[in-house]
Amino acid sequence: MANKPTAYNNRLGLKGWVYAGNYTFERYLYIGHRLSGLGLIAYMVLHIIETANRMRGEEAWAALMGLFASPVFKIVEYLLFAAAVFHAMNGVRLLLVELGFFLGKPQEPIFPYKSSVMKHRPLTYIIMLLAGLLMALGGSSLFFK
Amino acid sequence: MRETRLWSLHILVIPVIAVLLGMHFAVQHYAPVFYGMSVEKARDFATMIERGKSTAQFVVYILLLAAGLYHGLYGTRGIIRELPLSPALAKVVDWGILTVGVLIFALGTYVTWWTFVHPGV
Ligand code: HEM
Ligand code: HEM
Ligand code: HEM
Repeated sequence: MANKPTAYNNRLGLKGWVYAGNYTFERYLYIGHRLSGLGLIAYMVLHIIETANRMRGEEAWAALMGLFASPVFKIVEYLLFAAAVFHAMNGVRLLLVELGFFLGKPQEPIFPYKSSVMKHRPLTYIIMLLAGLLMALGGSSLFFK
Repeated sequence: MRETRLWSLHILVIPVIAVLLGMHFAVQHYAPVFYGMSVEKARDFATMIERGKSTAQFVVYILLLAAGLYHGLYGTRGIIRELPLSPALAKVVDWGILTVGVLIFALGTYVTWWTFVHPGV
């Protein structure tokens, strides 16, 4: 494809993922949803290969679990848990949006416009607060013995 | 129509994942809270084999394998196919993802079965 110059250069490459001038809260949730989804599936594939190590016997398994008990893996495990919580909570929000809940009634487009995103936003905040709470509480398990 | 069905399945497996992954975290991450068992003990070889020999656990793992892999790999496919791919390349992506899914599902199922029929420790 030809890279024709445009009045407004919106070809920002990777940088445009993070910021392209007018990103809303939901746009950042979208990035997070995508990254956490990719992280989870990458983990899941490795996880199935890794837990297959049990077929090599008790010692191989114990060695692996010993490795996972190290502080570095504790942090990795927590990040994974946090990603799962975020993805699940935001996923529930997306499902509500896609099925048409909590978007307000359709109305005449009269200025000043009130977009359905704004009508949805209080719920968005509540869901994200809940997600944050779950992540904080979940973190306490880092200290479980 | 076919794409609609694939997407609907991506959404319909979500409740399955939510429940089963929640249970999986309860076993592996919150064993001290829900089972009065240390995390270390919960991930011990003998405990794992014991758990895997129960029919309920067997079913849970097979379902989680299927639902999680489908949801995650379908999502990955969607992300890759947002790129401007030629129809031929799009086909390669589809088949590649399907192959990964089938292979990993087969491995996971075999391991789950291996645990299920394990004589015990
Ligand atoms: C004929 C009517 C409509 C059609 C065909 C339509 C179609 C779509 C499609 C195809 C998507 C992308 C869904 C996806 O992410 O997979 C979407 C997203 C969305 N629609 Fe609609 N829509 C319609 C009406 C509405 C109305 C009336 C509202 C609000 C009152 C609305 C709010 C939204 C929102 C907020 C999203 C973003 C969802 C997300 O973040 O993924 N839509 N719509
Ligand atoms: C309770 C758990 C989960 C919920 C509620 C959930 C929900 C969702 C929803 C609603 C979508 C967007 C669908 C759309 O708008 O078209 C999505 C996308 C995705 N999910 Fe999940 N999901 C969950 C668990 C998982 C797990 C365990 C994995 C990985 C194994 C995963 C990987 C993905 C990926 C890769 C995407 C595509 C992201 C994108 O297109 O940007 N999800 N999920
Ligand atoms: C804190 C994170 C996690 C830990 C510590 C963990 C631990 C384990 C362990 C020790 C096993 C071996 C079987 C057993 O002990 O009963 C296992 C199996 C399994 N896990 Fe996880 N897991 C975690 C997260 C996940 C996630 C996020 C997924 C899915 C997206 C997942 C999916 C599975 C599946 C499908 C199996 C069965 C594999 C098979 O039988 O081949 N796990 N997990």
